[in-house]
Amino acid sequence: MLDQAIQTLKKQGVRQILLQVLNIAAILTSTFMIWNGLAVVTNVESPFVVVLSESMSPGFERGDVIFLRKTASDLYNLASGDIVVYKIPEKPIPIVHRILEVHTDFNLELSVNGGRQASRHRLLTKGDYNSVDDLALYEGLEWLEDEHIIGKVSGYVPYVGYVSILLNESPKFKFAVLGVIGLFNIFQRE
Amino acid sequence: MARPRNTQQINGTQSSLAKGRATRTPSPETERPTGPLSIVVPISERDTVKVNHYNSTELKNACDDAVKRYLSRPELFKQIHLHTDVRLALGWLSVFVAAGTALYGYKIEFEKSKTVVSIGLVVYILLTTLQTLYSYFVESHTIFEGKRKSLSKRIITERIHIDSTTIPVSKSPLTTSVSPSNSPSYLLTVSYVRSTNGGKSLLAKGRAKAAQTYSAFFDETGTMDQEVFERWVGELVESSMDGKLA
Repeated sequence: MLDQAIQTLKKQGVRQILLQVLNIAAILTSTFMIWNGLAVVTNVESPFVVVLSESMSPGFERGDVIFLRKTASDLYNLASGDIVVYKIPEKPIPIVHRILEVHTDFNLELSVNGGRQASRHRLLTKGDYNSVDDLALYEGLEWLEDEHIIGKVSGYVPYVGYVSILLNESPKFKFAVLGVIGLFNIFQRE
Repeated sequence: MARPRNTQQINGTQSSLAKGRATRTPSPETERPTGPLSIVVPISERDTVKVNHYNSTELKNACDDAVKRYLSRPELFKQIHLHTDVRLALGWLSVFVAAGTALYGYKIEFEKSKTVVSIGLVVYILLTTLQTLYSYFVESHTIFEGKRKSLSKRIITERIHIDSTTIPVSKSPLTTSVSPSNSPSYLLTVSYVRSTNGGKSLLAKGRAKAAQTYSAFFDETGTMDQEVFERWVGELVESSMDGKLA
């Protein structure tokens, strides 16, 4: 089967080979650009993430995909009850929990354009399923600050994230999926 | 300005077709340059073409490839690759823009890289839109564009342009079975121009259009009958070369 593939490739000539490779490259780059486009529009480095723990049951289960957003109005309007994703510098994994308390300092003298950007928040969060708040997770901090917030949750899709969990946790599955997609592309024409 | 030799040449081609295709028919200098029917493909040089005959895209692609192979043989037209080259250029340029944006976003942290990434995004979207517009409006249904220069007293330049589309089967509530009579059709449109003096004096101009069901060229296993197909294409091309405007 491999020499048949080599034969078909040889017959097609340089232009056809370039076109086939371009097709594969175009799929990869368009996926990547859509991801980047979402990142720029939502102002978050990673526009959607997969929930890994069960600390937000029954709202978010393991394997749900949540959509994040960090526009200026989101930052300004943080209120208790909002679900945010935050990351402490010492911990590598971001955490998605609900805001329990918000304390805002409005600093109007420092503001340049009307005071919206000059407010500073301090937050206390707690996972819905946990029995205590997150103070123990803050690694010495008393409150979460603005710079720890990655984004606010704006929506979710259930179960879809399980594919990503599988891909990350077993490398064999990852290579199998990529290999199948690659072979499929080479042997087919648009 | 048809000379008696012209008619004789066509008759000669037809009778050699009837006899079989083992010999190569010589083509003397005529008013009309060599058409594709008079150059015969030796049987040993053929590869079998087999496709999934239930898939009309594969059928069309097989026919398009056969047309391209048939008309770009030596002594016949030389294919103009402009559309492919434009698509390759725009496509690869957009891939490099995306790759550059990716590298930049990877090296520089998110907040600071946002402006450059947005610019890269806009350029990428522009290039992709250009590509789509080009293939929809400029390239459209074209499958082959060819050129040939021959010398007979003066330099004769010929240009040929071929479009192809699939005509689907008109759905009627009674026909639900798949059969040769129910097959979609392949519509071929040929435009031909023959000129001399660097394109300034027009010698001949022709257009020909014909449709044929795919079942005439493919059997029930999906194997393509290339000789029948090539004869059909050759007759169409030669009728456009004769200057008929259809």
